[in-house]
Amino acid sequence: MPDIEPFSPRGMFHEGWTAEVSDYAIACGWALKGKQFIVGDVAGGIFAFEGDTGKIIWKKENTHSGGLLAMAIHPEGEIFVTSGQDGNVQICNCHEGKVIKTLDLGKGWVEHLKWSNDGLFLAIASSKKVYVFNEIGEEKWISEDHPSTVSAITWSNKNELATACYGRVTFFDIVNNKTNQKLEWQGSLVSMELSPDGDIVACGSQDNSVHFWRRSTGMDAEMTGYPGKPSHLSFDDSGKLLATSGSERITVWSFIGNGPEGTMPGELCHHTEPISSLAFSNKGMLVASGSRDGSVVASFLKNDGNGDPVGAAFAGDLVGAISWRPDDCALAAVNAKGVVNVWKFKVRTNLFSKGFK
Amino acid sequence: MSITDKIPVTILTGFLGSGKTTLLNRILSEEHGKRIAVIENEYGEVGIDQGLVINADEEVFEMSNGCICCTVRGDLIRVLGNLMKRRDKFDYVLVETTGLADPGPVAQTFFMDEEISSEFTLDGIVTLVDAAHIDQQLGRSDESSEQVAFADVLVLNKTDLVSDDALDTLESRLRDMNRMTRIIRAENAKVPIETVLNLSAFDLDQILKRRPTFLEPEYPFEWTGVYDLDAGKYELMLEEGPDPEMSLVALVNQGENEEELKDGAESSVRLYAEKANTLEPGNTIPYGEHINLKLEDKGNKSFILNIEKPTKVGLFTQHTAEEFNMKVIKSDENKEIPFNTERFWQAEHEHDDEVGSIAIERFGDVDPEKLNTWMGRLLSEKGVDIFRTKGYISYSGNPRRIVFQGVHMLFTAQPDKEWGNEPRRNQLVFIGRNLNEKEMQEGFDKCLI
Repeated sequence: MPDIEPFSPRGMFHEGWTAEVSDYAIACGWALKGKQFIVGDVAGGIFAFEGDTGKIIWKKENTHSGGLLAMAIHPEGEIFVTSGQDGNVQICNCHEGKVIKTLDLGKGWVEHLKWSNDGLFLAIASSKKVYVFNEIGEEKWISEDHPSTVSAITWSNKNELATACYGRVTFFDIVNNKTNQKLEWQGSLVSMELSPDGDIVACGSQDNSVHFWRRSTGMDAEMTGYPGKPSHLSFDDSGKLLATSGSERITVWSFIGNGPEGTMPGELCHHTEPISSLAFSNKGMLVASGSRDGSVVASFLKNDGNGDPVGAAFAGDLVGAISWRPDDCALAAVNAKGVVNVWKFKVRTNLFSKGFK
Repeated sequence: MSITDKIPVTILTGFLGSGKTTLLNRILSEEHGKRIAVIENEYGEVGIDQGLVINADEEVFEMSNGCICCTVRGDLIRVLGNLMKRRDKFDYVLVETTGLADPGPVAQTFFMDEEISSEFTLDGIVTLVDAAHIDQQLGRSDESSEQVAFADVLVLNKTDLVSDDALDTLESRLRDMNRMTRIIRAENAKVPIETVLNLSAFDLDQILKRRPTFLEPEYPFEWTGVYDLDAGKYELMLEEGPDPEMSLVALVNQGENEEELKDGAESSVRLYAEKANTLEPGNTIPYGEHINLKLEDKGNKSFILNIEKPTKVGLFTQHTAEEFNMKVIKSDENKEIPFNTERFWQAEHEHDDEVGSIAIERFGDVDPEKLNTWMGRLLSEKGVDIFRTKGYISYSGNPRRIVFQGVHMLFTAQPDKEWGNEPRRNQLVFIGRNLNEKEMQEGFDKCLI
């Protein structure tokens, strides 16, 4: 599949460790404040590695019959959840992988899981419904049926949940059980990201466009011209830049000034095949991108959305997911062959004078 | 990834009760060594016995431009997206749609969604038809006509419940609607598995091999009977039929093999193009002329055939002999002379259904730019009504022929085998609703160099 030759990590990427899981790796994340790295594969295998060395700590297979669909690590990093085609959600302990509680939501696929930023609530999307549980698995709220399967969920503040489905984005106050806002757009919304202040709602659409709304003004806009559908979106931590997939280029819209309406987006052309994962670093204007060609690149961006690569590595096959370590000093990528790569990301600043710690 | 590496997908459609699930179970239980994943709508008729079965919700997404030709199935994208990630990849995927579903959005998903089309290829659309009930359904619902129009294979099921004559009539009606399709008769959905899987419906050569007559021209007559007659006087006797008149061309020395029948048909087409002379009952039928028999009177009507020396007479008639109970009788012996051979032709006037198919076949090269402009305009104006498009074209300067297939406005084209010594030609088939054949043929002709 990859059209590019394998190459050693370059730039700010440095050798870290590699490991392997049983099947196509589709989810990953850092737990225990970066001490542990957890990977979920499509068949339902979950693997926990030591963050620094890649040594396997625990593993378990076939956690969801029919396969795993999503995984989310709690912001505190002590517990995580997985969900699958069996309609179940499992809340597990990161230290041993032990299941603390299983939630049975019926026969629909459970495709999306999202912890609120403060970690008090877990939102779960299954088919046309969205559920909210607390961290010990007590049910707190259930939505009515959406008009179609819920395609994305995210928290806009600690009590407010946003859901996207065909034709609309809805904001629910889950504590007072009311609908705060409905943003309608006839189109199949396949992905959703909110700016950190919750004001900008950006959605990738099946018809190869990005549609976004500003909640404060009610203005909406559409960004077209993508060759493919923008399934991956990422805001930087300040909410100035929105990076989007939808081709082999990363298209970055800048919300500085009057943008992005009427402005040219920044374009980063590092990959030979479409982008398959995208993530801004936890702090700063660094965006990491993984591609179907197996390459992973980190780019440093300017305010206009253009930028330069600062590091790159080859992951071997289609990049299924990428994840910055909480301190941004390492970047992990998992691929379609089940290979896990973690590279040290060295920044020469006073704070990290010795680079990777 | 080439088309042969992609996982083939068969779409199975058909009305409720047509036997889809029976067929599915047959496919799954047969020894074929394939790993088949079945994607099924929520409301299956009866349970599937085995195999990996995934439920879909039948979620049709219309795009923001509001074009109904650009609808896709969201559930299918999610299910297929997940399937393609699994290491124990499947050899085959079957998508069963509900009886009332329009196959369009399902088929379009394989063209519209770039992630799906990079991994899967639409192998074919199989439509099950309940022979006992489809006749009424065709008149009543658009969906059933569309399911017929989309089919690469039509399984005419439950044939045991219907007479052979009724089946013949139904088959000819279905063929009028979709000339590309292969029709298989079955009882209890019992069909050989190779007739519904791995069709490579994309491959027009295979269609031609299976049905060499699918591009056969439409004739102004439906029937030919060849009679071996001695010298003498004969009467052509007709009873009341569906039409107060009928056109006819009579030819002497008409051969009986396929080649000779086609020669006769071609001569008759030219004669049919000329203005017909009307004959009253009792008049003598001239040979090699276009005539119009007046059949208004009640009861039997007879016309005279004079034979000077023994010959074979071919009658090329606008309607079939059966429709008028037409007979040739030797006058002095009052004895019926049966025909030696009969041949039915694809007749041009039979367009009872709004849904029909058009075939264009032309030798020579086309100008790619002109063709793009013409096809682009045709599909954007008529995309809603054109269900499927298939064919191959000869681009000037390109050593390979270009094959294409499409659903509504969407189509893919790719280079295929080299022309070599074969004469360069173009074959296009359109299936749709209210298509204007003349206009489309003229449009295409303007693209030729």
